[in-house]
Amino acid sequence: MKSVPKLIRRFVGIMLLAAVLLVGLNFILLAVYTLSWMPNAYPWKTAEEVAGYLVQDDGSYFLPEEIARELEEADVWGILIDNTAMQVVWQSDNLPETVPEVYSAADIARLTRGYIDGYPTFTAGAENGLVVLGYPKDSFWKHMWPSWDYDLIADLPKTMFSVLAVNIALIFVIYMLANSGLLKAVKPIVRGIQALPAKEAIHIREKGLLSELAVNINKTSEILQSQSRQLRKKETARANWIAGVSHDIRTPLSMIMGYAGQLESDMRLSEEDRKKAAVIVQQSKRMRNLINDLNLASKLEYNMQPVNPARQNLIAVVRQAAVDFINMDIDEKYPVEWETDENLTACFAEVDGELIKRAVSNLISNCINHNKQGCRIHVSVRVENSNCITAVEDDGVGADEELIKRLDNAPHYMVCDENISEQRHGLGLLIVKQIMVVHGGTVHIGHSAYGGFSVQLILPLAGAGNGK
Amino acid sequence: MSFDYLKQKRIMLVDDEQELLDLVASILKEEGFTNVQTAKTVNEAIALSEKYCPELAILDVMLPDGSGFDLMKRLKSIADYPVLFLTARGEDEDKFCGFGLGADDYMVKPFLPKELLFRVNAILRRSYKAENPLVKLATSEIDFDRAEVIRDGEHISLTAKEHDILAALYRNAGRIVTIDALCEAAWGDNPFGYENSLMAHIRRIREKIEASPSHPVSLITIKGLGYKLMVEGK
Repeated sequence: MKSVPKLIRRFVGIMLLAAVLLVGLNFILLAVYTLSWMPNAYPWKTAEEVAGYLVQDDGSYFLPEEIARELEEADVWGILIDNTAMQVVWQSDNLPETVPEVYSAADIARLTRGYIDGYPTFTAGAENGLVVLGYPKDSFWKHMWPSWDYDLIADLPKTMFSVLAVNIALIFVIYMLANSGLLKAVKPIVRGIQALPAKEAIHIREKGLLSELAVNINKTSEILQSQSRQLRKKETARANWIAGVSHDIRTPLSMIMGYAGQLESDMRLSEEDRKKAAVIVQQSKRMRNLINDLNLASKLEYNMQPVNPARQNLIAVVRQAAVDFINMDIDEKYPVEWETDENLTACFAEVDGELIKRAVSNLISNCINHNKQGCRIHVSVRVENSNCITAVEDDGVGADEELIKRLDNAPHYMVCDENISEQRHGLGLLIVKQIMVVHGGTVHIGHSAYGGFSVQLILPLAGAGNGK
Repeated sequence: MSFDYLKQKRIMLVDDEQELLDLVASILKEEGFTNVQTAKTVNEAIALSEKYCPELAILDVMLPDGSGFDLMKRLKSIADYPVLFLTARGEDEDKFCGFGLGADDYMVKPFLPKELLFRVNAILRRSYKAENPLVKLATSEIDFDRAEVIRDGEHISLTAKEHDILAALYRNAGRIVTIDALCEAAWGDNPFGYENSLMAHIRRIREKIEASPSHPVSLITIKGLGYKLMVEGK
């Protein structure tokens, strides 16, 4: 949910920036616009100019041709009101008839501030009178009451600043009010989306602004749920199928194994025939191991194997696995050596003893399967850095670096690709890896100090009371 | 053969597959068991049990008219004798279920003749040891009932711990029993730190059963792993 406050900060930031930019832009535009009108907004100056050029000659007034033409082109008329007579003593040719000839002091004051008959007028003092220029109607707007309260002007900066502040605050409040509804609607959606990868079942209320999104998220969650149910069903079916097949193979294999076993020890048969029977026994044992492995591997993969971890003495568990092996397979070609330090008598870990036994006997079987010529198998348990390390090593053919690397990197789950031959070899080790994953341990594959292959099972020790 | 009396035991086989019945019967007969009877259904087994009074039953878990576990319950209500299960289902829950009901052992198919025979012999030895208390070793005999060893006509008594340890070894005669399993047999569950005591007891047992305790031939040490009791006739 960290993303929501971040989102809000981003929104508010953008909004404030936009407001400031907008105000600034407006000021600039206003300035440019006003400046562009400045040159034309100087009729007062023109009036001064006309007053300067107007010359008295022989009691009558005269304006140079040039200036008169300019005024005429701009459709501006002009008059000169004499100071003492208070009547028009000079006028331009285009003077409208409605302009009066005689003026009182009040008329002068009014026309200075405002208009004569709707013509905006501008004045300038001449030598003996007042020049008045009349501009076309609607060409200028004149401010007729140009006075303000002194305090108003004095407080202007303060007033403007507070208005600006109030504006910003208002915008903020309006924004928050408008968006809190949106945020309220977004929150459950964000929570829902964040819960989706966890494969939880999600149901968001399908109301409010973003109800469409909520509906879609609910649908997605439903699809995910049903997909994982389907997958689970499929996995269960597959594991059951494997269990069923292995069950059906067990009974016929019993006959093969049983009778071959009898023939193997039947002294009435020739040595050669007994050897043949022995091969059948060996091969059916391999099949038995394969069935057991396949069954356990599929159950571990689909989490159908019940794991019952309990505080166990790993030394006893591993020792039992080694002894079971010696008791079952009395073959002088594969002596098993117990290399554990005699002073280490107990090494506790939270494990499922049966599964760990299975892992160790798989490793011992591996040594035998890969060393047809026979080999010495070394089993040991030791404690290192609050880990319990069980090692099964041999002095047989071992493996080259490439194979070790490949075995070490092989995944702990079943992979199904074209490369089936790799899978065929790996089932025994795959189970060992699966068992270690279930227990939170690791598998380390490498070279043995005894010359052959080495596999180490590294399991975390249980809390208190380890060893002696 | 010191176990000859066990070969006379009446054994009942129950499995719905004729071939398997034939196989197991043939394995047992070859080993010298002479009284083997077979049944294919729960009802047949109960009828046979009443008539024949078996001393060991080998049962399949899945039978056409009921489960082997239910059959065992009914058999045990008629007479108490050991039961060994043979099954094609290797699941643990079946195992616990079987032992919880009082099964003596459990085997998953397929199996080798020697594996079956080892279990049958172990169960019979354990269940009927009182009938022939004398166990023959290389240079002595053990009388578990009286807790004594007979060597050169001399009766030497065993302590309770020595008896327990020897009994555990005898149950698995010819096989290695781990140090941990022996400690458990003598001192109960979670036996840690008894390794040295166990060694002392083994030494004293050897003084009683071996002609030359420093060169044992009956009670053999498997370095680091455990001990093995060699019984005559095995």
